[in-house]
Formats: sequence, C-alpha cells, structure tokens
Amino acid sequence: MKTSKKSIIYRELEGNVAFWAVVGVLGAVIAVGLGAAYYMEHHGHYVTGMSNQIVWGMPHIFAIFLIVAASGALNVASVGTVFNKTLYKPMGRFSALMAATLLIGGLSILVLDLGRPDRLIIAMTSYNFKSIFAWNIILYNGFLALIIVYLWFMMERKMNAYYPYAGFAAFIWRLVLTTGTGSIFGFLVSRAAYDTAILAPLFISLSLSLGTAFFLMTLMAVSKISNRELGDAVVRRLSRLLGVFVALTFYFVVVYHLSNAYLAKETAFETFILFTGNPYPMLLWFGFGIVGTLLPLLLIYLPKFDRTPEFSALASFLVMLGAFCLLYVIIIGGQAFPLEIFPGKEVLESSFGDANKIHPYTPTIWEILLGFAGIAIALIAAFLASWVLPFFPETLADTAVDPHLK
Amino acid sequence: MAQLALVIDLNVCVGCHACVTSCKEWNTSGQAGPMFDDRPYDENPTGTFFNRVQTYEIGTFPNTETLHFPKSCLHCEEPPCVPVCPTGASYKRTEDGIVLVDYNKCIGCKYCSWACPYGAREFDEKQKVMKKCTLCVDRIYDQNLPPNERKPACVMSCPTSARLFGDVHDPASEVSLAIRERGGYQLMPEWGTKPSNHYLPRRKTHLRIHEDELVRADNPLKKEDIRHETSKEVSLDDWLM
Repeated sequence: MKTSKKSIIYRELEGNVAFWAVVGVLGAVIAVGLGAAYYMEHHGHYVTGMSNQIVWGMPHIFAIFLIVAASGALNVASVGTVFNKTLYKPMGRFSALMAATLLIGGLSILVLDLGRPDRLIIAMTSYNFKSIFAWNIILYNGFLALIIVYLWFMMERKMNAYYPYAGFAAFIWRLVLTTGTGSIFGFLVSRAAYDTAILAPLFISLSLSLGTAFFLMTLMAVSKISNRELGDAVVRRLSRLLGVFVALTFYFVVVYHLSNAYLAKETAFETFILFTGNPYPMLLWFGFGIVGTLLPLLLIYLPKFDRTPEFSALASFLVMLGAFCLLYVIIIGGQAFPLEIFPGKEVLESSFGDANKIHPYTPTIWEILLGFAGIAIALIAAFLASWVLPFFPETLADTAVDPHLK
Repeated sequence: MAQLALVIDLNVCVGCHACVTSCKEWNTSGQAGPMFDDRPYDENPTGTFFNRVQTYEIGTFPNTETLHFPKSCLHCEEPPCVPVCPTGASYKRTEDGIVLVDYNKCIGCKYCSWACPYGAREFDEKQKVMKKCTLCVDRIYDQNLPPNERKPACVMSCPTSARLFGDVHDPASEVSLAIRERGGYQLMPEWGTKPSNHYLPRRKTHLRIHEDELVRADNPLKKEDIRHETSKEVSLDDWLM
C-alpha cells in the first residue's frame, strides 16, 4: 500500500529568546571553565586534586565521558544509514553533528588539562605508533574528518547517493574509535583494575547507552527551545533502544567484575572496588547500578511510564549520571588502589606521604568547572551549527517521520 | 651493549634519606631541574623526587622488622613507559640503557605514569612535564669531575655504601658481582619488564653465644648486678668484732 509520506524538510534553528538564553548560559559556563583552565595552567597542577598517584582526575572523566558519548551519539545516524531504519533517518544529520561536537568538547578538556597544551602540535606531528594514546589521536581526527564527509554527503543533494558509504565508514570507525578509548585502559598491564580486553567492548556498550541518552536529551531540549514537534512515538522508540544499550552495558560491567573476582590475584582489588573502598562501591552500586541502570530500565519499560516523553528524558539523564559514576570508578578507583610491589607487606611510612596505601583524591572546583565547560562547548557548538546550517528537521512528528508509527 | 643501573643493598640501607636529598639537590640544580616543591616546610611536604624511601614492616608483631626500601626508576630493559608515550618523549638510550624523558617533547599527558608498574614516574607540577630518575646522566659523563665522582649523586652520598652503580651487562663489574654473589634480584620480574636496577636482600646474622659468655667473671662494676648469697654462719669478721 502506498503511503502519503511527506519528505523531511530541514531548517536552521530560529534565533528566538530561549535559544539565545541557552547560548548565553553555555557561553558563561565556557568562560568560567576557561578561567579555571587558565588558573590551573598558571599555577601548575598542584592546585588540582591530582597527584603522582592519581594522575588523571575529574577533567579526564569529563573528557572520556564526552568522547565515549560522541561515538555513541552517532548511533541514530548509523541505525538510519547502515541498518536502513526509516524512523532514524530524519535525525541523521543532527546525530552526526552531535557526534562531532561532543568529540570536540571532550578533546577540548583533554587538551586544556594536558601539562603542556601549547605542545599540541608535537602530539599531532610526532607520533609514536606503538602508543595506543597516539592511535587515539589518529582515531579522533579521522572520526571528525569522516563525520564532516558524512554530513556533507547527507546535506549536499549531488552527493546524496554516496552518503550510505560514508555512513558505513563512520559506523566502522566509531567502533574502532571506542575500542581505542577502552584500550587506553585495557592495555595497561601494571594496574589491577585494567589489563583486560573486556574494557574495549565495555566502552563500546557504554558509548551506545551514553551516546543515545545524550542525543535523546539534546534532541528533546532543542525541539522544546525551537518549538518544533517531536513525536511521542519517536521518543519512545529511541528510549527503548536506549534500554537495550543500558542492559548491555550492565552485562559487560557484571562480567568484568565477576571474572576479576574469580581470580585470586584480583580479589583484593575487587573487595576494594565493590565493598570497602568508599566512595567507589557507593558510586558503582548506587550510582551506576541503581540510578544509572535499574531506574532507567523501569522508566523505559514499565507501561506506566513508557508513554510519557518526560520520563524518557529523565531516564536519559539518569543513564548519563550512571555512566559518569561508572567512569569515575573505572578511572579514579583503578588509580586509588595501590601498586603492590611487595604483596602483603605493609608500608609504615614513606618520604613525603606517598606510601602504598589507598590513594586519596578530592576533585577541586577548577577541575569540575573545566569539565562542565567541555559539555558546554559540545552543546554550544551543536546549537550554533544548527542555527547556521539546516541540521534539524522542521518537524519530527510521528506521522512526518514514519506514517506507520503508532 | 651496556646497561647502567643501580644495585641497592637492603641489608645496609638505614633509611637515612641521604640519597633522597642528594638526588634532589643535584637534579634540581642540573639539567633535570628545577624540581617542584610543595609545602616544603609545612605539614605533608611533597613535590618532585626522583628517589624516595619507603619503609616497610615485615612480619607480624612481635616478630616484626623494618625494611627501608629506596625506590627510583629501575631503567627497565623492556620499559613499559616507553611504548605508551604518544609523542616518543620517553625513550631508552641504546648506548647505556638509561630510560629518559625528552622534556621538550613531553606534552604532559601522564599516560606513562599509568603504565609504570613501579610508580617511578614523577610529574613536575610546575613545569608540567613528566620526569624521573636520569641516573644522573649529566654527572656520570662529566669530564670536569674526577673519575671517581662520575657516579649518580645518590651513590656518592650513601653513608653505608648501600648503593652501587655500574654496568649490569658487564659480568666483571662490581654490580654484576654483587648480583651474582649476594643474591641480587629484580622487582616484580613476572611483568617481563626486566628492571636493570637490582636489590640485594636482607641477610640475617645469627651469632651463637653461650649464656655464660655474656657474664663477665670479674664483673668490676657489678654491671650485671650479680650478688652471691652471703653465708648465715658466723664469719671471721663477726668473731673479731
């Protein structure tokens, strides 16, 4: 049966009061974050909570949060292009745009937190190809380049025929990219928390859930600000997809900890991270387990909630919180657990208090402000790009997107 | 190919920190410096130190003993910090096996610090680059110094000569001899990093002493407070008095 489906029209966002208010707030957050970065750069890293033991802190959590979200935000475009699902196609442009801007936001934090951000050109020109970190630099740049090509092919009528190829390439690249991000930790043999191949698929699954949640929340916010219709069925479909990804992430986290707990040499670490080493067990069980997994799944799949878009937005927000908690546990918890040079031996004291004990970390306000600035950079870039170029559909009403939707 | 390294005798290290301070003194004023200090005269002082001493308690009370363990970069033959460096700033010299950081190429990402299983990397929070023990590379080849002073500052300063320096690949060197004959071992060899620095173990010296050897026969000052019982019978003095 032939359906009377209208073609999707994309239009730039209108610069209304709400739009500029949001841009203004984001701009202020960025300004404050840049101020914090300048303060840390000017005084040195000792003004942060990081130390010789906890070398990566809050800025890195924000950065990896955004980088992981970036590859996941491309899901919607990939589902439309690679898996040919009609409903997702109208959101493809915005999905690809979000992927690029989230990555830019994450990389901005990473670069601003480097000891020597002024030497970024060295990182770009002097590669050590044995380093997974150097590979990530290539993967990030390649991802941005591919996204630009993908967007160009989607938006340029003459190139439209080729966009599935670009979409497919971007999809493969994003899987490799997140494998690379997970392998930054997976390839670390020296610490109890890492040195495991499961971190790569765990990061991929986390990117799927976090990226979809980030995309859904931004999609709903932009629709609200620009007074564009967003169909309930579209939101419901996206949130159900999110539910699958949330369950998948939970599965990988469970397998990771179960297999570690089974190994006698990792028992001490697992006891620390799961039970005794607060705040990490609290963040893992409550932050990731209950807030980031159980509650969103209930909100997404219980019939009582699943037809209300506000609950989908809440579920997305909780998934993001849970992902942040999980990354905190992985990154900070893994460093807080001491390196054991003489297993079972107790350090009485050490020069200048750096004994082999559980290393403390208290993030400072400067690190947190820089982290929020990264999120704001990602969002402001997406907003302004959508104001300049037609990334966002005029309407995402259920019937406009897919007439078969109910 | 030479592999310069330290051999540290844990049996004679008394934990005096002379190596810590002399290392800091030499390196903060040399090529590797200045090295950051935080709260140097206050509570919980910290900063960049290429050499630190950790004190361990071994055993369970009351059968415990104290071990002082000086820790610095071990100049591994397979250093895990080198391949992870994104810019190649961390490198191992082919001529003498010293692992160094090129401060001009280091971007301060701190990833090498994650990779070192020994926690030997030191981020300089002021210069914002990664640093570590250089084996005093700017001292050991200095032709202006007398040959017997061309050693790392920590080796020069150790009052108990617990630190030896030399080429562990040369079987005739002092360090190789010490490793061979005095049970020198590497830290965590299971990682496959092949640390060049070695440690000589604690050695127990038990003397077999008979109890009567501890008591002096003459006992002039009654040090051991040995008093023989006096007789209850009437002595010559009693009779005379």
